[in-house]
Amino acid sequence: MTKNTRSDETVALHSYMQDRQTLFCYSGPMNEELLTTMSNPVKHQISDKETQEALSRRVFGVFIEQAQNIIRYSHHKTKSSGDSIGTIAISVIEDGFLIEAVNVIAPEKRVMLETTLSELSTKDQEELRTLYKQRLRDGPPDDSVGAGLGFIDMARRVSRFEFDFKNTEEGDLFIYRGWVT
Amino acid sequence: MIFEATQRTPLVEIESDRCLVRGECYPENISEWADPVMQALDEGLNQSEGAFTVDVELYYFNSSSAKFLFDFFDFLESASEGGRKITINWRYRSDDDTMQEAGEDFEEDLSHCCYNLVVI
Repeated sequence: MTKNTRSDETVALHSYMQDRQTLFCYSGPMNEELLTTMSNPVKHQISDKETQEALSRRVFGVFIEQAQNIIRYSHHKTKSSGDSIGTIAISVIEDGFLIEAVNVIAPEKRVMLETTLSELSTKDQEELRTLYKQRLRDGPPDDSVGAGLGFIDMARRVSRFEFDFKNTEEGDLFIYRGWVT
Repeated sequence: MIFEATQRTPLVEIESDRCLVRGECYPENISEWADPVMQALDEGLNQSEGAFTVDVELYYFNSSSAKFLFDFFDFLESASEGGRKITINWRYRSDDDTMQEAGEDFEEDLSHCCYNLVVI
């Protein structure tokens, strides 16, 4: 049998996902119907008997909000259906879960996202709770990308989060990492 | 009126004296789901003039649904301000801090409805 280098790539993918304990990863076109379909396996994966239910629910909440962010705001769409393209993953870490997401954003949204998320990252739980209530009463700001309730909701469910931007050939990537512990 | 639960929407039962909302709420399109519910609530409330009890038992709702809940309670508060006797029971599991906090936060905007936080 000849050596197949492609199978090495596949094994590398398998080993990579196994090593970092990535129990769910989707990368590609997303829409709400697909999110419905993904919800049950995700819930199943994060709800083994050793995981506290409250922790699973927080992971699930972050997953849903971030998946919907990709669906609504990804700047990279498929030509055929206009579905948003992005990547979302959930991995096991020592004391909980890591939720990661990547999608292309419109270049003009970067400053607003950066400002909003930087501000949210400095707030403690009580401040986030107050801000959430206030935003609920006042309604969304004119341009709700990244400034609406979704990111506040996520910030309340994670122990900490990080975000970054990278210029690539694909476009301006927005990267989100949230730890639920 | 009964709205059956789906994977992403809660069971909603509305009668002339009571309303029940139970399950998870993160619909694909919030207004598509919520508009008929609000209309049914309006009709249910108008069927009689007696006491009206609302039980809400949610295990998860997303940020778009939070806006729906806010409007839902606002509507009940207005009816209560208009003289209708309305009791709201926000039911949550004892280990669910998220739902407890949500219940406490909604209570802040309600002064005419009788509002109870109920541990289940």
